[in-house]
Amino acid sequence: MDSLDSLLSGFAVALTLKNLMWGFLGVTLGTAVGVLPGVGPALTISLLLPATANVEPAGALIMFAGIYYGAMFGGSTTSILLNTPGESASIVTAIEGYKMAQRGQAGPALATSAIGSFVAGTLATALLTLTAPLLVAVALMFGPAEYFAVMVLAFSTVSAVLGSSLTRGLASLFIGLFLGLIGLDSQTGQARFTMGIDELLDGIDVVIAAVGLFAVGETLYVATYLNRQPPARSERVRSSVWMAASDWARSWKPWLRGTLLGFPLGALPAGGAEIPTFLSYAIEKKLTKYPEEFGNGAIEGVAGPEAANNASSAGTLVPLLTLGLPTTATAAIILAAFQRYGLQPGPLLFENEPNLVWGLIASMYIGNVFLLILNLPLVGIWVRLLSIPRPLLYAGILIFATLGAYGLRNSWFDLALLYIIGLLGFLMRRYDMPVAPVIIGMILGPIAETQFRRALAISQGDLTVFVRRPISAAILAITLLVLVSPLLWRAATARRSDT
Amino acid sequence: MRLRFPHPGEMFISLGLVALGAYVLIDTQSISETQNYSHVGPRLFPHIVGNGLILLGSVLAAQALPKGWHNVPLDRDATNAPDFQAAGMITIAVLLHMALIGMAGFIISGILLFTLVARAFGSRRPVVDLGIAAVLVSVVYFIFSYALGLELPNGPLGAF
Repeated sequence: MDSLDSLLSGFAVALTLKNLMWGFLGVTLGTAVGVLPGVGPALTISLLLPATANVEPAGALIMFAGIYYGAMFGGSTTSILLNTPGESASIVTAIEGYKMAQRGQAGPALATSAIGSFVAGTLATALLTLTAPLLVAVALMFGPAEYFAVMVLAFSTVSAVLGSSLTRGLASLFIGLFLGLIGLDSQTGQARFTMGIDELLDGIDVVIAAVGLFAVGETLYVATYLNRQPPARSERVRSSVWMAASDWARSWKPWLRGTLLGFPLGALPAGGAEIPTFLSYAIEKKLTKYPEEFGNGAIEGVAGPEAANNASSAGTLVPLLTLGLPTTATAAIILAAFQRYGLQPGPLLFENEPNLVWGLIASMYIGNVFLLILNLPLVGIWVRLLSIPRPLLYAGILIFATLGAYGLRNSWFDLALLYIIGLLGFLMRRYDMPVAPVIIGMILGPIAETQFRRALAISQGDLTVFVRRPISAAILAITLLVLVSPLLWRAATARRSDT
Repeated sequence: MRLRFPHPGEMFISLGLVALGAYVLIDTQSISETQNYSHVGPRLFPHIVGNGLILLGSVLAAQALPKGWHNVPLDRDATNAPDFQAAGMITIAVLLHMALIGMAGFIISGILLFTLVARAFGSRRPVVDLGIAAVLVSVVYFIFSYALGLELPNGPLGAF
């Protein structure tokens, strides 16, 4: 089989001592940073991006995949023990997981989360191995019009799904689109919105935007509004991190169901892991034999959503690798990491750099094994990171944030920019505007513009090209549905509540 | 209960978006339109973004006027007692770091940043913080400049 051959050659890349080391370093760093309260995968990756500045592409991307997975594992530990999910995808884990920890069941909760993530991660990587070549075949038929349509779909779903208001989601997206416009126009080389500042000619680096929004913005927010509240106390892991036979019996089905939900929904541009984890929780609550335990720490409620979360993170890589389409903030930052090496993910990457792509996929199988080892016997080390006092935690985060921004090109201007974007992140956090659409809009906006202009160049200025080509028309129809249906839904429910 | 409408912060953001949109539209005029073979030049997307920002800002302002935005966690106890002193201290720390890093180097400005931010978060042990900062920043400096090859300014401490 074709993809099996490719995968085997990928393993040949991933199993070299050097790449194994990068992978191991990635999962370790990812877990260590991801476990810190309030630090999600997107911030973890952007904080650690400068660490790979001088690593060759294959090793760097393998390290990133490790950081990505490690951050997800670390985030689950924090949700279970501290009830402070670092990202929306682990909110559900916190519901039952924290209850289990309070009952002294932290061991089994961490174990079902880690083993479930391993099972789901491995199965989802296998699904990725099988589906990626199929999607590459489809993607090869895509022209600029289709690419543009798919990006408009991603813009709409990201703004509509994340956050509590479509208008605020779209406003965030447009802020991101504006930030993406700053710099030289890729086609005519004209400077746009640089305000005469030379440093802006290259555009705003995504590391500065992500670290500013997530790290500086969050630091300012916590200092202003949450610092007077006592810090959350970490539950202790009293039992060993393992599961009894009954826990296994109650966990394996939720793992598989979570994987089946997480992978396809993660692969669609539907806002990442939020929807599949909530769905998985709802399904497990319905199917469980112990409904009375839900709300008091039911192991199914940890096993299912954790599996869904991890499977969807592998699913996210399908559109990212085959189409170059990021559907979450984390994926957008990984895309930026690719671009840093002059690599553009998409069908051509599979043809031109097969060793790199398949080495990356193979490293994900290996990374899952590393993570299981790191998270079962060694979980005690990570738990200690939870007790870092708040002042030292945020002081440390700012050290890494400023290092990342300054390290880009040793310019103080980037630190000023970091602070300004941090203020923006502070305001957005305060007024409940989602941050992910900013990152997606910023990364995807320039690509969408290029594709749009290419499509019109091919059609000689005929705008109907987007609706005359069937695939592009279908995608745009779905986009319209995504944007209009919540409005109709709200109108319907508003009428009901009025009466 | 929400007391003041329109909420000043919500209005500020809404009007800020309108102003940003207006700036985008005005500045777009300075981009010269070269329509060559692609039929759309570098002005089209800025036009869309500028108009979109004005439209969304107006909608948000309209939402803020009668009863405020939906579901904004404005009324929790935490947001009623903001600690702007802490935010101000972090601001000073970051801006001082920005001003000093080129001259004083990564280690010295980093130690200062760490200690000030910890102080802003209510740490009352500056000497302990200084010690932790010195260890952390030096370790980070060595890892990044020697193992990972990132060039960071040495400052008066010189290259080790």
